[in-house]
Amino acid sequence: MARDASRALVASTTLHVIGIALSAVSVGMAACALLELLTSGRDAAALAASAGLTAAVGGLLWRLTRPGAIRKRHIFSTVAWTWVSITALGALPFILAGTFAVGGADITEQFVNSLFESASGFSASGSTVLADFESPGRGLMMYRQLTHWYGGMGVVVLAVAVLPFLGVGGLELISAEAPGPASDRLTPRVSETARRLWVVYIGFTAAAALAFFAADGFSSLYDAVAHAFTVAATGGFSPHADSIGHYDSVAVETVAIVFMVMGGVSFSLHWRAVAERTLPYHRNSEFRTYLLTLGAAAAVIVVLLWLENGLSLGSSIRAGVFTVASLGSSTGLSNATGPGSPGDYVMWVAGAQLVLLLLMVVGGCTGSTSGGIKVMRMRVLARIMVRSVQHSQKPRAVIPIRVGRDIVSESLVSRVAGFFLLHFMLVLGGTLVVTALGGDFVSALGAVVSALGNMGPALNEAGPTSNYAVAFTEPARLVLALLMVIGRLEIFPVLLAVMSHLHRGKALTRAVRR
Amino acid sequence: MQRLAVLKGSGVLRRLGRPRRTRPLLAGSASRAPVRIVSWTLASIVEAGLTLGIATMLCGLAGLGDDNADAITFTLVGALCAALAAAARRRVAPPHRPTPGRVFAGIGLLWTVLVLFGAALYAATGAVDRLDDALVESAAGFTTTSLTLLDAAEASRAVLLFRSATSWVGGLTAILIAVVTLPTVLRSTALIGYSTGRRGLDLVPNAAVGTRRVLVLYSGFTAACVAAYLLTGLGVTDALVVGLGTASTGGFTGRADSLAGYGTATQAVAAAGMLVAGAGIFVVWWLARGRLRPLWRSQELRAFALLLAAAAAVMAAHRGIGWGEAGFMAVSMMSTTGFAVSDWTAWAPSATVVMLVAAGIGTMMGSPGGGIKVMRARLLMGAAGGELRRQLDSYAVVLVRRDGETLSRRTLDRLGGHQIAYVVVVGAGALLLGVSGLSLAGSVWGSVSAVSTVGPAVGEIGAFGRLDNLDWAGRLALVPLMMGGRMSIPPLMAGVGLVLRWYRTGLRRSRFAARRSILKIKERDG
Repeated sequence: MARDASRALVASTTLHVIGIALSAVSVGMAACALLELLTSGRDAAALAASAGLTAAVGGLLWRLTRPGAIRKRHIFSTVAWTWVSITALGALPFILAGTFAVGGADITEQFVNSLFESASGFSASGSTVLADFESPGRGLMMYRQLTHWYGGMGVVVLAVAVLPFLGVGGLELISAEAPGPASDRLTPRVSETARRLWVVYIGFTAAAALAFFAADGFSSLYDAVAHAFTVAATGGFSPHADSIGHYDSVAVETVAIVFMVMGGVSFSLHWRAVAERTLPYHRNSEFRTYLLTLGAAAAVIVVLLWLENGLSLGSSIRAGVFTVASLGSSTGLSNATGPGSPGDYVMWVAGAQLVLLLLMVVGGCTGSTSGGIKVMRMRVLARIMVRSVQHSQKPRAVIPIRVGRDIVSESLVSRVAGFFLLHFMLVLGGTLVVTALGGDFVSALGAVVSALGNMGPALNEAGPTSNYAVAFTEPARLVLALLMVIGRLEIFPVLLAVMSHLHRGKALTRAVRR
Repeated sequence: MQRLAVLKGSGVLRRLGRPRRTRPLLAGSASRAPVRIVSWTLASIVEAGLTLGIATMLCGLAGLGDDNADAITFTLVGALCAALAAAARRRVAPPHRPTPGRVFAGIGLLWTVLVLFGAALYAATGAVDRLDDALVESAAGFTTTSLTLLDAAEASRAVLLFRSATSWVGGLTAILIAVVTLPTVLRSTALIGYSTGRRGLDLVPNAAVGTRRVLVLYSGFTAACVAAYLLTGLGVTDALVVGLGTASTGGFTGRADSLAGYGTATQAVAAAGMLVAGAGIFVVWWLARGRLRPLWRSQELRAFALLLAAAAAVMAAHRGIGWGEAGFMAVSMMSTTGFAVSDWTAWAPSATVVMLVAAGIGTMMGSPGGGIKVMRARLLMGAAGGELRRQLDSYAVVLVRRDGETLSRRTLDRLGGHQIAYVVVVGAGALLLGVSGLSLAGSVWGSVSAVSTVGPAVGEIGAFGRLDNLDWAGRLALVPLMMGGRMSIPPLMAGVGLVLRWYRTGLRRSRFAARRSILKIKERDG
């Protein structure tokens, strides 16, 4: 009896969290419907209907379920199902507005494209299949930007913020969703930690919006807010087809660089900077490594662009530094003004593109909104490699792995190694599947690395001045959408959710056989 | 006192008091003359030099009547090298228990010396015009990578045979290091991948017997390959060139289009030979002894067969790729030989990705081929699965086994370190190739192919492993990649580690000396 009750409670907690997340997304949809009404009004009905439907489903789940203690194996399925739900219902505005009903696209293609755009938005990837940036109304385009913002900090973190009763399960929920191998606990109360993270996130977004607004000569608050959503979430969507290249402005690019790079830094650090009124960044070894990586990559790329691509030194610096900041922080904005312009990195020499590919793999810092393997994990991996060398010389030596001054526990070391292995396997498997579904090797490899690292633009045909609809077939786009969600949740939750369901299925089959 | 008496009785003290004992690397190399130099590195270089000298001399002798200048050069240099090695063998011996770091550094040095010797010969005969090209050609040969700059139609018989002989010697050296040297010399300190487990005890009861057996098995297998090629109608030179290339997974042939111009029977023999070579010396040992039980029970062999079948099936599922072609290329890639029967780089991208993965995984333990190795890949999968299970249950005890033996956490750690190093080397290699002017696909493919010692690659290198489309920087960039892949990375890493340690020690000593001299000066000045 007790076991049955526990199962019921677990199920209700999962649905409860999904309900809260959907309700939060519906608020954003409603706000964008209002914006649409105030501007062109083209897609207002679609947005309003989507908001209504999402609010209805979310509200029902929220009100009709009650949370309780949550078992570890169900934490991962809770997070995974929440993301599946918001991705599916988040595609509604695009489907209802017929955003992708261009060029004779059938209903399947529209559905696939909407799902892809939604997955790309919520996972803060920024890969797009949108070709026509003029037709959708401002509300719908803002909703597209808003999906990034929701996904950046994470809807589960948001749910935990309004669930004061989750306790320990709450922290594990945050850990399962938050980027990085371990999550910071800013306060003893988990819900308070989640709330503080959202507060600093909102503050960061507001600061970015103000900076963009000022850099653009106070011309468009809409554009400023749209890009602020992107840089805060390290997403990559822009309301303009040529992204930041639309402005062709050094000031705007500089603001974007600063906020993209800072978006790739732990939000706990940002909180400490605000709360303690000090600058804790330089004391953080991960931050130093992150900056060093970006600096080294930018230097190599600038030299290659200058010497090999024949660009002027000024253009090389501008294109190189912006692209490194964009891909190094897993944002994916571009300063290319068109195909073949200095910022169009698919035209760069292979060496420079390979540096970008490596940056896509590395990603930003732990606890940030960025994707990739993360700097902290890369440092642990490097230490594992060095330790294996040291063990070959001193086989019985006990060598702890340190990151900064801290010794990393062996369980975390194993977790990081396991994560890397799974990441590597997913890259290989993903590339194989995407090429099998139609795509050349470089485009497929770039897209898979980009999807798993939540970058956005990839290489070759999926570069910054192209879009994924041109480069990949519909099934390949679905696979990439799935990889984006897997990458956003850092692999484990999705795989464990599948494992958990398989385990349950096996147990059920065994019980039936008996 | 009681303990001291026990130690005296057991002979421990007596043994401790004895001078350093030495042990032969090869069977029958026990020297009666007084040993003057005890060095693992020198001893291994001498042994390899003897084999290489004899092989070079034989290549020269076989080349007589075709291009006599080349043939005489090879004969004389080979004879000189063999004589010098034979003379040095009496004076040099390996230490009884060398430290792991020195063994790894020695392995690195051994490969470097082999490659330099080959390069010098290529340059001396004029087979390759430039010195850097000679280095690339030699590195490709000794690392059993099927990359070449030689025009097979214009090269003399001696040169063609020498090129295949370098890969044969390279293959033999790789097997001896993996199967005999590291497990027996390092004993309990053997790294995963070198520790051959229970299979090793059977084939290699001790260094001398193990070396003799490996030499006999490897030579016998090569002879069988050559005989089979002769039966398919190949000429003696062709049969020797292709036979040496098959047994060593070197992949050199006497033509520019690899095996595309040969008959079906030759291609079938090549596929069978590559399969056995990729399966490794243990499988040859079991087959030679007629022991089917270990064959059946080997998890690694089952995984190897399964992966091969899967790769072939996926490739054959593509339009325009026949089962025969798919099977041949799957074996060629997994055995890291690099033979080709057609221009497979024009195949569908997904088929080439399968080949890339197959090349990355590579052969079984104890094979002259490269790659991560099937056993390591299997264990890594197990470790990743175990980590997933641990996420669900923090207290879960997850065991990763190899042929019934449970691996320790430390072993798995080393395995993880090896895999990370492999990815780092491949990434750095791709970057080097990219900077040197190769396309993106060519850089990634070229790096994986070179580190796995395959050779052919999508892009500028092509299906037949030609380096003509690469400039000098691209060619030279391939040398460290091939060497790193051949050394199976840990020796390379350990070598780098040792060099760094020497550097640090040297730095500390020089600082200490400087401080002491400053103090002396201060004392002198009062």
